Amino acid sequence: MLLEVTSLDAFYGDLQALHQVSINVNDGESVALVGANGAGKTTFLKCVSGLIRQKRGSIEFAGADILSAPAEAITRFGIALTPEGRMLFSSLNVEENLQMGGLNRRRGHWNLQRVYQLFPLLAERRLQMPNTLSGGEQGLVAIGRALMANPRLLLCDEISLGLAPVAVDRIYASFAAIRSEGTAIVLVEQDVKRASSASDRVYCLLEGQVTMHGASRDLDAEDLTRAYFGT
Amino acid sequence: MVWLGTIINGVLLGGLYGLFGVGLALVFGVTRIVNIMHGEFIALSAFVALGLSMLLPNAHPLLLIAPVVIVSFVLGYALQAIFVNRAMRLPDPVAPLLLTFGLSVIVRNLMVEAFGVNPRSIRRGDFAQLSVDVFGIPIGVLPLVTLALAVVLFLVLQFLLRRTEIGRIVRATADNAETVRLMGVRPASVYNIVMGLSFALAGVAGLMLALRTTFTPFSGVERLLISFEVVVMGGLGSFWGAMLGGIALGVAQLVGLRLNPNSGFLYGNLVFFAFVMLRPNGLFGSRL
Repeated sequence: MLLEVTSLDAFYGDLQALHQVSINVNDGESVALVGANGAGKTTFLKCVSGLIRQKRGSIEFAGADILSAPAEAITRFGIALTPEGRMLFSSLNVEENLQMGGLNRRRGHWNLQRVYQLFPLLAERRLQMPNTLSGGEQGLVAIGRALMANPRLLLCDEISLGLAPVAVDRIYASFAAIRSEGTAIVLVEQDVKRASSASDRVYCLLEGQVTMHGASRDLDAEDLTRAYFGT
Repeated sequence: MVWLGTIINGVLLGGLYGLFGVGLALVFGVTRIVNIMHGEFIALSAFVALGLSMLLPNAHPLLLIAPVVIVSFVLGYALQAIFVNRAMRLPDPVAPLLLTFGLSVIVRNLMVEAFGVNPRSIRRGDFAQLSVDVFGIPIGVLPLVTLALAVVLFLVLQFLLRRTEIGRIVRATADNAETVRLMGVRPASVYNIVMGLSFALAGVAGLMLALRTTFTPFSGVERLLISFEVVVMGGLGSFWGAMLGGIALGVAQLVGLRLNPNSGFLYGNLVFFAFVMLRPNGLFGSRL
């Protein structure tokens, strides 16, 4: 078990955003986390990556307890997050953004050259500023930046949001290469079809709770609708 | 001809003004905090420089730059680490502003306690009075050196920010302090370094000030105003804009004094006012 989250409660001040959430990810697996807006998907990723402090329960990564670890330390364990909205550094060009991802110098397959091989578009645009790139290209930079940390677990928060289908295709096409290096992926998406087609297992969240969990190929449309909307 | 000399000396004075402003611009650009202590940094650095000059009586004044920079960096780093970072963690965004304001009052009065209110300056032989003749116009060596120093420091700062890893980290932290944590960076540590750098730059400015003129513990207040005006005229976040703003102020100041020797800083403020009315975003309103 690579990531083992058990009975996680998370809070924004007095508001409880996650209730007893238990989610597991195995080495090299791809897990989708779906749900409507506000279901708690981003909150979950922020808890795992250490950005949310108000939480209780258990988060274990490769056997280590990371529940109270700050975000700055968690990257060293081998967890990388592609944040919601991509959050590229606007004063840095493409290459500098990628270099920021590799700051911790974790050993592994991914470096600047190999990221450019995976996304030749970025190589062409390496000195450009992020605001001159299309949404899809920015998405590639965000993923490349996360890969530069050579993570064992890659967390992707709504990377298809607001992008044209052809741009989303390009991003999802890179997952094969990422997984072949043994990296596990958690895909948070509102687009269930996309997410489940790219993953082995699916969890569904509704109002901060896990309402469904199963293998992607066994997904039943009716069950999923109920779990997604709560009807 | 006399006017040309005034304008040239105004440009040189602008170098000092630009030096006043760049530290303030740096801190604001990265931490989004207006450092009201900045004027006191300059005044304190003048006293530190005075102290160092008494410890090393035979050293050429320019050799004091290195020790002043080091002492200032450490002081700025410590201030940020001990006080300002704590204030930044509070939920109220006004807290750091109030803190820097309070600290400026405390530091100013501590300086009065320690050094008294008499005007001081660093007197080192003829260095401050040397001047060269350029086409019949007398140009002070000290102002010339100050401008050259300002340009060099600007270039060094630019190089640091644009071409080194630490510069990348500083710029990224200024862009998005939460996301930068995902890459292993502690924003508080970055702020410590930036405040240290800011104080070091103010330190050099204070040293140059101490060589050029007399100063008291209250000298910081007027320099804070100048720093603000320089930063706003240049455009928030632009360093070379701050330099140009400083030059505009320097020229306005000296031309004004020639027109009316009792006008104090009136003409400088008038030029600033006109600038803000005509070009409120400054010369180059942009990011670091």
